[in-house]
Amino acid sequence: MTTNTQIDQLIQKTRRYEFADGLRDVQFALLIGLSSVGAWLALQPFWMTIIMKASIKYGRWAAVLGMAPIVVTILVVWGMLGVMKIIRQRWLWRESGTVKPSRWVVPRGVNLISTVIFLVAIGAAAGMWLLGWVQDTFILKMIWVATGWSFGYTLAAVGMQIGLTRYLYVGLAGGLLSIIALLLPLDFGQTALLIGAIWFCILLSSGLVTLFTLISEKKEEQNE
Amino acid sequence: MSDEIKDLTNIDRLIHEPSRLAIVAVLSACESADFTFLLNSTGLSKGNLSAHLTKLEEGGYITITKSFKGRYPNTSCSLTKEGLRAFESYRKQYLAFAKHMQK
Repeated sequence: MTTNTQIDQLIQKTRRYEFADGLRDVQFALLIGLSSVGAWLALQPFWMTIIMKASIKYGRWAAVLGMAPIVVTILVVWGMLGVMKIIRQRWLWRESGTVKPSRWVVPRGVNLISTVIFLVAIGAAAGMWLLGWVQDTFILKMIWVATGWSFGYTLAAVGMQIGLTRYLYVGLAGGLLSIIALLLPLDFGQTALLIGAIWFCILLSSGLVTLFTLISEKKEEQNE
Repeated sequence: MSDEIKDLTNIDRLIHEPSRLAIVAVLSACESADFTFLLNSTGLSKGNLSAHLTKLEEGGYITITKSFKGRYPNTSCSLTKEGLRAFESYRKQYLAFAKHMQK
């Protein structure tokens, strides 16, 4: 008789499959990295000057330039999906089969706690500001740091659930490193850039190390 | 006779078979999976897997889509709402029975 534990393991293995090759990490890294650059750029005076000059010269078409960071992010992340599909179909998943993951990988409970973490952090920052312990920029910085904590918790919780310890470490590392942004004298845009850079580096390293380990394992299997 | 034992007599025999239970468990964790993935996950032979998939499809628990990926044929399977409900109900029954046996 197939035991309950075996069934749980089968379910866990199937859920893990989508994230096991590291390509999703690379996609997340690109999404977060480019989004943070976009957020930083939108607040920079030199970018605003460029948009202003463009609007004087080209009128409404300047809006296209203003939207460029968003469009680039969407195109890169969408393009990465295509790259993932090709790499998996032709190589990584050729012998092990294809799985289309569930639309909602993150359970509701995890989403709820992640939202609570975000709100509590913002609330705590607002409380500290009301008490006069911190300046108002601290609350703005906390928006990005809390986003980092919230995302870190989500990754760690999903990692635990699907039995992917890599995500537990990635989530913890990203969440802890996000604290650095609170300690440095940064403005809102710079904090976005720093948090984005932290997550970009962690996720990209995690993804590439996993991917290359898998590739070398596959090569060894082929040689045997 | 306790409720757990009574429930066990009404257990869904289509899912209760270990190979089919494994197939349904895999499909419950994703939107769809292809024949090769199911073959690797369950450890069944091609013929066995094919026979179990047909039974599950006849029972209305899964849908099978046949297509081509480039020049190669591809069979993709996904759990229907009915199949998911049946799997969840089976697991509840199974857990209740296991709990009863431990008492």
